[in-house]
Amino acid sequence: MSNTILHVQQLHKEYAGEVVYKALKGIDFQLADNEFVAVMGPSGSGKTTLLNCISTIDRPTSGIITINAQNPYELNDDELAKFRRNELGFVFQDFNLVHTLTVEENILLPLALDSVDIKDMHKRLANVAQLLGIEGILKKRTFEISGGQKQRVAIARAVIHEPSLLLADEPTGNLDSKAVNDVMALLESIHQTLKTAILMVTHDAYVASFAQRVVFIKDGSLYNEVRRGNNKQQFYQEIMDTLAFLGGGQHEI
Amino acid sequence: MKFNDIVVQNILRDKWTYISYFLSSVFSILVFFLFSITAFHPMLAAIDQNSTLGITMMFASFFIYIFSFIFIIYSIFAFLKKKTKTLGTFMITGASMKQIRTMIFRENMLIGGAAIMTAITLGLIISPLFLMIAKRVLQANTFGMYVPLAAILLTVVLFSILFLIVSKIITRFINREEAIQLLKADVITEKIIASSPVKLLLSVIVSSVLLLAMKLQFTWVESLGMLYYIALMISSLLTIYYIITQGMLWIIRMKIKGTSYYRKTNMLVVSNLKAKGRSHAHIIYLLTILLLGVFLCTSVLYSSYYNVKERTESLYPYSFQYTSLPGNSLVQERQDITYIQSTLNKAGHYDAYYSAFKTDAQRRIAFMSVSNYNALAFHESITLKDDEYYVAAGFQGVRPAIDMINDYAVPKLQFAGLQEQNILLTGFQNVYYILPDAIYEKLDFPVYKVFAFELQDWTNNIDVAENISATITSNQDTHLISSKIDLYATEKFVKSIMFFIGFMLSLIFLSAAMSILYFYLQTSLEGEKVKYAGIRKIGLSMREVSSVVTKELAMLVFIPFTLASILLACVMLAMRDYISSTFYEMTAIGISVFLLLFIGSFFIIRRSYLKKLLDVQ
Repeated sequence: MSNTILHVQQLHKEYAGEVVYKALKGIDFQLADNEFVAVMGPSGSGKTTLLNCISTIDRPTSGIITINAQNPYELNDDELAKFRRNELGFVFQDFNLVHTLTVEENILLPLALDSVDIKDMHKRLANVAQLLGIEGILKKRTFEISGGQKQRVAIARAVIHEPSLLLADEPTGNLDSKAVNDVMALLESIHQTLKTAILMVTHDAYVASFAQRVVFIKDGSLYNEVRRGNNKQQFYQEIMDTLAFLGGGQHEI
Repeated sequence: MKFNDIVVQNILRDKWTYISYFLSSVFSILVFFLFSITAFHPMLAAIDQNSTLGITMMFASFFIYIFSFIFIIYSIFAFLKKKTKTLGTFMITGASMKQIRTMIFRENMLIGGAAIMTAITLGLIISPLFLMIAKRVLQANTFGMYVPLAAILLTVVLFSILFLIVSKIITRFINREEAIQLLKADVITEKIIASSPVKLLLSVIVSSVLLLAMKLQFTWVESLGMLYYIALMISSLLTIYYIITQGMLWIIRMKIKGTSYYRKTNMLVVSNLKAKGRSHAHIIYLLTILLLGVFLCTSVLYSSYYNVKERTESLYPYSFQYTSLPGNSLVQERQDITYIQSTLNKAGHYDAYYSAFKTDAQRRIAFMSVSNYNALAFHESITLKDDEYYVAAGFQGVRPAIDMINDYAVPKLQFAGLQEQNILLTGFQNVYYILPDAIYEKLDFPVYKVFAFELQDWTNNIDVAENISATITSNQDTHLISSKIDLYATEKFVKSIMFFIGFMLSLIFLSAAMSILYFYLQTSLEGEKVKYAGIRKIGLSMREVSSVVTKELAMLVFIPFTLASILLACVMLAMRDYISSTFYEMTAIGISVFLLLFIGSFFIIRRSYLKKLLDVQ
């Protein structure tokens, strides 16, 4: 196996309340350089919590997370923000675009925050826009474009700084089936051309079948994992079978 | 479920949308109510309705009412905007426009009624405290508590009418298209500021022409009268409006073109500004006008309060002036003077001056000998040659006529000089001609004897003046008594009330400005919260969020302050011939105090806004 980009060790996450709710019960997990992994599991299994802990949005109760040999939870707020901008790329279900900015400005925002040279900025923008096929909508405002286009813009923003790890939380949750295909094809091509490691949470077996490996979580623990062989169709079937074992898989599709 | 149930449930289940509207209504009514409690105080009944003070009082309450009116309309609009989406849902489910209007009308009337009741209850609770403060400010011991029936009645009636009108009018502004549009998309972005250089230019030209006309005193300014001032006010308000909106647009454009646009958080700040340019500009405009109101009220009314002593002294130079008319008996005169002197003796050190003049009582033109003139205090002694005369003023602030002496049978004399300050109490005689003693002796007019007394530390001896005035009252035929101490006491009272009104007005303006800002931030908070939460996920540190928010807030708070200060400076510059140095001093102090207040509230607002903004759940 090549270098690991993400290393999760004995990750626990508990939510305090009248009854302490254990969302994650000791997860061990690794993501190799240039690996595309999907995380699946029934609702409430803890998959989004896992992603939030990795993406430094939610602080774990215990356990160690290292991304590119750095523990983000040892950083202060300023450093953490910088870490997110440099090392991580985010794609969200709700796109999370800033509606006061144009498409172009949204994509450039992480670079602007780091005060990258303007020429360099626009060069990178041209590259990424071409890769994602959004050259025509750069000057538009975010409410003037469709859902599929919004997700492309979000992906463009997530990869413009060439992050070591791209985190995607139900990236196709708000899209129609045509847009789902488009966006997934793009993620796949980004994975191949930019060699970015991708960790994606989804409950859609079809979407998961674009990954190289699918990790299943049940009740806050790792349950199983399935690796893709040469046949995507067969991979999809394996995923479906595992979901059937997990229970509640079929009707969620 | 009946229609009225929907109305009531609408309010109860969505309290937080209604609460800011409710609170601003309560606030406006409360202020008006408290002011009415003062205005209708039995003690103030003594004030003549036609006096300056009575008119000021009336004007002030009218003004507060108009202001409340505008403020309530403003909050109702802000509130309606927040509710438009809900209305859209009602429309989609099949409510007719008429039903929607009825619903809004009833809702408003309910809130209005509740606001009036709450405000009056609150007012009654805090009025003892308020009257106590008023008592201190007005230095009126009789200003006690009373049952303010008239104030309650007036407040209820006026505001019921106001809510009735506002609710009726406002329903016309519900926009069907906008409501349904809102249902489709959560964020409808507001229109960006339209570029309108022609309107800007036009308003600037009209205002400058109007101002220039006043400066050059064109005849048509006077003939237009009130109309001119209304036109001037409207055109100035429009000019300020266009300067702010167009200036804002210009700044945004410059910033976007500038090289630093893609540096750090600039993009976020500027794009935010661009997206909210219109409402930001409107808030800045409103705040600027309100602050200008605050500044003018404080400067004008406070400085008049601090000028009382000087003004009193210029009107009535002496602590006491006893004028013995020709019809007075010597015995009476002796008795009065002795009484005054013995009373003053008990009060402290005093100086006495004796003088006299002869007067043409018909025309109130007086003649005084040089010796008598020099016997008085408060002006330079003079010497006159045998063929010279000197002129002294009789009216405060009016230049005496120097040539009316020619109407009298005196030898031809040369004009030697002029004393523009009235030498005795103002208005008693039109003018005093000071003549050489020999010429004076020959004049055949009745003699008025003047006994003037100057008490040391007179401002603290108001009771002495009251004593003397109670014992010796003026009599048209025999003797007149006047006292600057008396005048000072009355003036002080009048000015205290003016001060009080000014204080109330500036308080109202200031809190209105602050609450407008607060409600504005509140309405946009939810959207901003979502936005910043999203950007923070991508990688925006707290410090960067705080820098963006600080810039935006600073703009909203300090641009109006700066603009209002500049405008005030312009007003003062234009009126520099009419205002005294105290005015500048008071203005400087006032503005510094407000600046401190603003810096303080800026940090408080910023802190709590940031806290709310970054609060995750």
